[in-house]
Amino acid sequence: MKKILAMAAAAATIATAMPAMAADLVFSSWGGTTQDAQKIAWAEKFTEKTGINVLQDGPTDYGKLKAMVEAGSVTWDVVDVEGDYAAQAGKNGLLEKLDFSVIDKTKLDPRFVTDYSVGSFYYSFVIGCNKDAVDACPKSWADLFDIEKFPGKRAFYKWSAPGVIEAALLADGVPADKLYPLDLDRAFKKLDTIKPEIIWWTGGAQSQQLLASAEAPFGSLWNGRMTALAQSGINVETSWEQNITAADSLVVPKGAKNKEAAMQFIALATSPQAQADLAKATGYAPINLDSPKVMDPELAKTLPDAQTATQVNADMNYWAENRDAIGERWYAWQAE
Amino acid sequence: MLSRTDARAEGSKIPAHRLRLTDFDLTLPALGLLVLFFVVPVVILLARSVTEPAPGLGNYAELLGSSTYLRIFANTFIVSGLVTVVSLLIGFPVAWALAIMPSRLASVVFAILLLSMWTNLLARTYAWMVLLQRTGVINKLLIGMGLIDKPLPLVNNLTGVTIGMTYIMLPFIILPLYGVIRKIDPAILQAAALCGANRWQALVRVLLPLAMPGMAAGALMVFVMSLGYFVTPALLGGTANMMLAELIAQFVQSLVNWGMGGAAALVLLVVTLALYAVQLRFFGTDRMGGR
Repeated sequence: MKKILAMAAAAATIATAMPAMAADLVFSSWGGTTQDAQKIAWAEKFTEKTGINVLQDGPTDYGKLKAMVEAGSVTWDVVDVEGDYAAQAGKNGLLEKLDFSVIDKTKLDPRFVTDYSVGSFYYSFVIGCNKDAVDACPKSWADLFDIEKFPGKRAFYKWSAPGVIEAALLADGVPADKLYPLDLDRAFKKLDTIKPEIIWWTGGAQSQQLLASAEAPFGSLWNGRMTALAQSGINVETSWEQNITAADSLVVPKGAKNKEAAMQFIALATSPQAQADLAKATGYAPINLDSPKVMDPELAKTLPDAQTATQVNADMNYWAENRDAIGERWYAWQAE
Repeated sequence: MLSRTDARAEGSKIPAHRLRLTDFDLTLPALGLLVLFFVVPVVILLARSVTEPAPGLGNYAELLGSSTYLRIFANTFIVSGLVTVVSLLIGFPVAWALAIMPSRLASVVFAILLLSMWTNLLARTYAWMVLLQRTGVINKLLIGMGLIDKPLPLVNNLTGVTIGMTYIMLPFIILPLYGVIRKIDPAILQAAALCGANRWQALVRVLLPLAMPGMAAGALMVFVMSLGYFVTPALLGGTANMMLAELIAQFVQSLVNWGMGGAAALVLLVVTLALYAVQLRFFGTDRMGGR
């Protein structure tokens, strides 16, 4: 028995010593084409510059992040999270404050900067449509919520996050500047009118598949996925009217092992060139205001940046405050 | 202090340090790992259900007092029951055929069954999605043949979940049933015929009762496994027929409300253990394989 205990103790020592030995930086994101692009545009450049190896992990999981911080065993150094989550997690003490002596925030889009997070990239929920599958494409949120004029299934983002509730309220005629605080009763009432016709998508790849196969010939998609569909030769149309912006954020979990390297990584990832490279690969918009200057003007035109005329900004602070309450109601409504 | 086996061993010069099947110290590391990495985390999660956000049974009151959550519980049972029944209806003839077909052919069918079990679950589920969707192979075929003019809703609903899960669960019904049917003496059916039973009577009054242990063991296993299923319902079902495992994942990952997650997990655990107890009571662990 003593021997077994000794062996277990030895094994435990090795296990705890392992991460400390490796000075690698661990980056977690959402997988798929976006993380591939982050690897090329950010991680490989970072390794070239600093010699620090970057390990890719994911998908990001908020339950896992909380568990790591609570257990004091944080294996992620930099995490790509949704903007509303970043704002909430910062308040709840799950994140390190960012070191703005290392990260230059003067050129970062102030919409996406907090003490605990900076933007990773930003995107818009737009109205996507497969032109080969329907006679007419919905142009506005009101169209997308009108099953008389536009019969058929429509694809919407499944998770409780900024985007769908805003779309419902805009479709119901709420002016963009009066969206917040969100009138949830009104939003769910509007959503009820199209509920049987909704197919929920849980990830970007699925939204592309739904649209391309015409399983749902139209819906609310991330603009980058529409760019990718168009590039793959599918006859799609994107309506930017009242496109709803939301951002991903980069954060450092509280107790991250390579905090200093993490700050350097974020500094590089948010630099004009790195943001431009990511935007080029993904179709999402850079959060560095200097990035468009180093981008191909043709490409810059396809970004949400160029669509600010009718753009609606989801209020991350409102969502951070109300994330739990909205989430519970959202999922209960979905399950009804 | 020498037991009977020890005494015998002395006589036949077997070394003093020998292995007996009843030696349990060699299993201790495995048991230790199980306790450390399975029992402890589960207990911690369950403890959170009565401590977060406030000590007490608030989470359980919310869970059992809400019509939405109760409907999710009901859904979980309905889907599991449906999958079990359909699996039995399809699995019984297959197991029967397997038991009587030439062994060479049977081994080919077994290979197909096992190959499907070894294929990645996610890949299989996505394959069903492609087959079943409105613009999928099955609907296109039916429309092409002129049998229907509008695509059937086969996915994102109860139909999709039932098809996808039945496909995954079938081997767990077929294998124990095959074992039981193989052991049935063909002479018994002959005897039934001699006693005047027609085919139907022989099936219902002789063959089915004899196959009952295999059917019951398989059905219970499928039902219990279905209760905790996550991937297939999440991908092939709509939000209106959400199952308990999805609710737990939502609480833990998306809402980061571990108190409610723990409470839902405990409810699922209690139901599963109760069913497992039923299984042990009636069939015992040694009969799980259909022996």
